[in-house]
Amino acid sequence: MFLIFQRLWQVNWAEQWQYRANLLMYLLYWLVSPIIYLAVWTSIANANGDVKGFTANDFITYYMVLLIVDQATSNIVIHTFGYKIQDGTLSGELIKPIHPMLTNALVNNVAFKALTIMGLIPVWIILFFLFKPDFSGVALSGILIAIPAMILGFLISYLISATITALAFWTTRVYSIHEFYFALILLFSGQFVPLTLMPPIIQNIAQYLPFQLFIYYPIQLILGKLSVDQIIQGYVMAGIWLVVSFLLFTWVWRAGVKRFSAVGA
Amino acid sequence: MSSNSIIVEQLSKTYQVPEREGGFSAAVRGFFKRKYKDVKAVQEVNFTIAQGEIVGFLGPNGAGKTTTLKMLSGLLHPTGGNATVLGYTPWELKPDYLRSMTLVMGQRNRLSWDIPAADSFLLNQAIYRIPDDEYKETYKELDELLELDPLMKKPVRNLSLGERMKCEIAAGLLHRPKVLFLDEPTIGLDITGQVRIREFLREYNKRTGATILLTSHYMADVTALCERIIIIHQGQLKYDGGITDLSHKIAPFKLIGVRLSDADSHDLSGYGTQVQNEEDADKKYIQVKAEDVTRVTSRLLADLPIHDITITDPPIEDVIEQAFNQ
Repeated sequence: MFLIFQRLWQVNWAEQWQYRANLLMYLLYWLVSPIIYLAVWTSIANANGDVKGFTANDFITYYMVLLIVDQATSNIVIHTFGYKIQDGTLSGELIKPIHPMLTNALVNNVAFKALTIMGLIPVWIILFFLFKPDFSGVALSGILIAIPAMILGFLISYLISATITALAFWTTRVYSIHEFYFALILLFSGQFVPLTLMPPIIQNIAQYLPFQLFIYYPIQLILGKLSVDQIIQGYVMAGIWLVVSFLLFTWVWRAGVKRFSAVGA
Repeated sequence: MSSNSIIVEQLSKTYQVPEREGGFSAAVRGFFKRKYKDVKAVQEVNFTIAQGEIVGFLGPNGAGKTTTLKMLSGLLHPTGGNATVLGYTPWELKPDYLRSMTLVMGQRNRLSWDIPAADSFLLNQAIYRIPDDEYKETYKELDELLELDPLMKKPVRNLSLGERMKCEIAAGLLHRPKVLFLDEPTIGLDITGQVRIREFLREYNKRTGATILLTSHYMADVTALCERIIIIHQGQLKYDGGITDLSHKIAPFKLIGVRLSDADSHDLSGYGTQVQNEEDADKKYIQVKAEDVTRVTSRLLADLPIHDITITDPPIEDVIEQAFNQ
């Protein structure tokens, strides 16, 4: 099994390098919105002294960390896999003795990430000198405890996106469904604005949804803003959502493959 | 029982195809209530194939060949009947089954377009859990037969059609499958390419005792490789037996094509049945019985101002169409 993943990595890493120009464009496109949020919120905080207790430096550190966390936990499986179901190229992968989405597509996504994070580093350094964030509140222990949370966050986000992608077995409109899902992420993950600044009702809902595990929770772990109870609660939620999203995915996937083989692969 | 690799019993597949007339009002109606038409792609087909046999699977376009191959490889669920391959029910897609068969279909299966074939081969080695020494041995054999080495380092997208097909077939055989389903393995290849693939398949079958079921448009593929032929037409099994018996059943015809200096002024109906050929409109084709070819040809050459003359086998579809579509 280890060898499979190792070879999958070699192939997908080489493949992603073929598309590095493409990838750079994606990275630039993706960078736009967090940098806008960063700029807007910092200038508001600078003008007012703070926003509900959030200082300009709080916003800068939040969004600087978000750039990394979002890159680590987000996924693009809808774009790399959806079309395979629709045009039937999936056939070739279905008759291989490995799961197409839990092996190849997953590794492909990780390779994609590894490359975009490499591209992100110089941008991040430039932003660092531009905004001069004060990271004195960040401790090594916070970063270490955030790493497994980011891995969990990525796996959950991947499995949910994979479930939505697998809806392509039934409908050609998966891309619009996924767009709607992105809107939910924007609202409940803490991407648009740190969750503590959201109305209490949204904060309450958000803590039971998986989306904050992708962004808000790991960021707060890194910034060292959570109490022990909150850390434990986050990990418990992550564990529950991992199981739920995995079960949901396998169920939808099985039903989808059955349908695929009924209507004509 | 154990000597039979493939057992097919009453296998059927009916597709439901949405049907809609053109135009706006039909589109609106179709949105609320879709009409479906049943297309019987495969109807109650029966056959068994013994281990080590090479069987040619023939039929015109749309006869149900590919549908049958897809069911046998596990990609499609039948709507009726049953099939076992190597003791497995294919559409359960058990990993053990997938590791012991291969399906080569078109050119888009096993190789990643952007990277050299060598990397995809190594990936397949891992996926199919092939031990290093066995992999090296199999690769050496495949390389001997298909001359793969010069192709391995180039990105697959830069390979020619024939080169890609060779790599695709080789990639599908690295795990030494016991059953091979080949859909048009020589399509798009030149004559040398076709011959090479044929020789390779025969040799592979001899060395490993694998069972091979292949479809082809080229009669030559089939006559060179298969002693037994299964013909399906409109989803139904029409013939299952030896290739020599088949030639008795199908009256052997040849096509004589002639190019005349003033084509319209000559009537060829006295020499044989005239056949239309759209691809080559300035040539006239007549179909004659194989044993009459020499006689008719010499008459044609003596009687008419002929610029060019060709004698060919009629396309396999036409032969089957004539034999079974009365």
